[in-house]
Amino acid sequence: MILNQLIGNLIQGLVLGAIYGMMTMGLSLIFGVLKVVNVGHGAFIMVGAFTSLYLFNGLGIIPILAIPVALLIGLALGFIFYYSAIRRLLNAPELATLLATFAMGVLLEEIAKFTFGSEFRGYNWPVSKISLGVTVLPLTKLYACLGSILIAVLLYLWFNKTRAGSAMRSVVEDSEGARVCGVNVQGVYALSFALGIGLTVTSGVLLTMFIPVGINPYMGGPYTLKAFVIAVLGGLASPYGAFFGGLVFGLLENGSYTIFAMLPHVEPFALTRFFSFLILLIILLIRPTGLLRTK
Amino acid sequence: MKKSYLVWMICIMAALALSVSTPAFAAKDKIVIGHPACLSGKYAKAGEQALGGIRACVDWVNKVRGGVDLGGKKVPLEYIYYDSESKKESVTSLIERLVTSEKVDCVFAPYSSGLTLSGAPVAEKYGMLYMDHGGASNKIFRQGFEYIVQTIGPATSYHMGTLDMIKKTDPKAKKVALAYEDSEFARMVMEGAEAHAKKLGFDVVFSRTYPKGVTDLTPLLSALKASKPDFILGGGHFEDGQLFNRQMADLDINANALSLIAAATLPAYYQALTSMAEGVMGPSHWEYGVKYSEAEAKKVGLQWIGPSQDEFVDLFKKALGKEVIPDYHAAEAGAAVLAYVLAAEKAGSTDPDKVRQALGDLKFMSFYGAWDIDDTGLQVGHTMVDVQWQMGKRIIVWPPEAQTGRLAYPMPTFADKAKGKVAAPR
Repeated sequence: MILNQLIGNLIQGLVLGAIYGMMTMGLSLIFGVLKVVNVGHGAFIMVGAFTSLYLFNGLGIIPILAIPVALLIGLALGFIFYYSAIRRLLNAPELATLLATFAMGVLLEEIAKFTFGSEFRGYNWPVSKISLGVTVLPLTKLYACLGSILIAVLLYLWFNKTRAGSAMRSVVEDSEGARVCGVNVQGVYALSFALGIGLTVTSGVLLTMFIPVGINPYMGGPYTLKAFVIAVLGGLASPYGAFFGGLVFGLLENGSYTIFAMLPHVEPFALTRFFSFLILLIILLIRPTGLLRTK
Repeated sequence: MKKSYLVWMICIMAALALSVSTPAFAAKDKIVIGHPACLSGKYAKAGEQALGGIRACVDWVNKVRGGVDLGGKKVPLEYIYYDSESKKESVTSLIERLVTSEKVDCVFAPYSSGLTLSGAPVAEKYGMLYMDHGGASNKIFRQGFEYIVQTIGPATSYHMGTLDMIKKTDPKAKKVALAYEDSEFARMVMEGAEAHAKKLGFDVVFSRTYPKGVTDLTPLLSALKASKPDFILGGGHFEDGQLFNRQMADLDINANALSLIAAATLPAYYQALTSMAEGVMGPSHWEYGVKYSEAEAKKVGLQWIGPSQDEFVDLFKKALGKEVIPDYHAAEAGAAVLAYVLAAEKAGSTDPDKVRQALGDLKFMSFYGAWDIDDTGLQVGHTMVDVQWQMGKRIIVWPPEAQTGRLAYPMPTFADKAKGKVAAPR
């Protein structure tokens, strides 16, 4: 019985972990290229969640088709915020970019509250479920997991097979060197920021496919914290590391619950969080650059 | 001799000046209620409702009652609020500001047990009356605070009616599972539920908490499923209640009954979950349809104050400028205004000590129901109702005297609900 629960939870953890990973890739990409920590990360996830909600409830468009729409909205928001604020702050002290991204998050949250109100909303996409014996997996969750993996693979191909991707990698390695070699560094910065925001907004759609309730202007807070932990776990500047970190985090979060539930007089959920952060600490002690990042 | 006259004159003038500047002796031209409201952040939804409820009752007091009758003089009631962003640190600093800068006569608590408790020591420090309309935890009233007065019912009583109802409906039901948010409020609710369940002879086969801000309940619900309960009591606040129901459906966890606190009774709950919410129940302090009236008050020998239910709904809509039906967050906040007004009139003063004493002696009925507190300020007069979603409508199923319909039991399975089956009484 316990083993079944453990396997069931690990499967659920893996599916959720893929979404966590996808959710963090944008954060890592922006930090990797621009060295900007996007404190308003959760608000962009919220934008994706509302995109999915309104396309489904308002126009009957299924969440899978909301993914390209969310990506376009994210790219547009990314370019707007980059050219209106971030570009001017690239050489400013780190606190300035922290405050700017924080302000972006607050701005988006308050616009969402003003436009949609503060109610917790949700949608019900009636698709079937797969019974795996040890657990039940709705197809929406499976689609979200496969969507996350597909986007991660496409991002990998973008980085490694396209000129724009190579330019981004060169800026990550050495921005001055890239400039000397003729790379339009400002353009790469703008594209990276927009792509990072685009990925984050898209992850909001995927997240609602896993959890299609609790959609609210302030829903991003807990995900921002998780994304930071996952980003550090995978190597702060590595989008692939972030994806891998997400999988590890999802497995730890879900798997450890079953084990802690066997201990008498403890609340497993509280220990689950403790355990996730303990593992993070241990990994950082062994590999300070994160799981997949080289020095 | 001349010098001693001078000293006496100065003393008398100082005493006169002091008496003029002391509010207790000053003729009041208005009474001010201050409120660190939750208009953004986690409790924005409940906070907006509370704001509408307070405004509606303040409007009723000023326009229908003509103000607050202080010793024969009608004094208008004023309402000042600031957004506390649902944060403890903002609540404490805003109460300081309301008391010291705005010189309010009474402070209304923000919302939730945690925020209410965080503001209580500040109100206590200034000897300021602190009207709790949204903090249900009994723990708040075990701290020895003297100026806090509750209108919402105590948390320990939330599920008592639910348990009584299931015991009466299904005497064979034995196993109950409790899964709830690790918050002050939910812990108190479940403390009361567990004690009452044991008293009624139920076996508590599962009892676990989940943290605030939880985003995935799958591991906990998988463990709950394994305990095979007859019925489930759970929840904490709105967002986790939605998540709880949704993930129960995802994992095909079926039980004869599911009752969730602070979530299941709100319209947005059904809008988000649609058919998955069919048959789900929740305890509520007040629901549109529960008709407490002046005649009902007379019947039970209580004083009546305030608008009728329909008048309150109209005032609420005007106050918010929206076509929304108020929920219990609005009703309890509005009722707290009425309690304060009645107590101030009985005391003939806004002096917090005198009003607090009058509140202690007060018993009345309003559109919200009966109101009475014990020595600690805990609400003991108000009774709760249980609401169930049936065919997309909220039906009051308990207590029998407040019923608008019978209980649908057992709740349809999630597989049946997905095929379109609705909850309907047999």
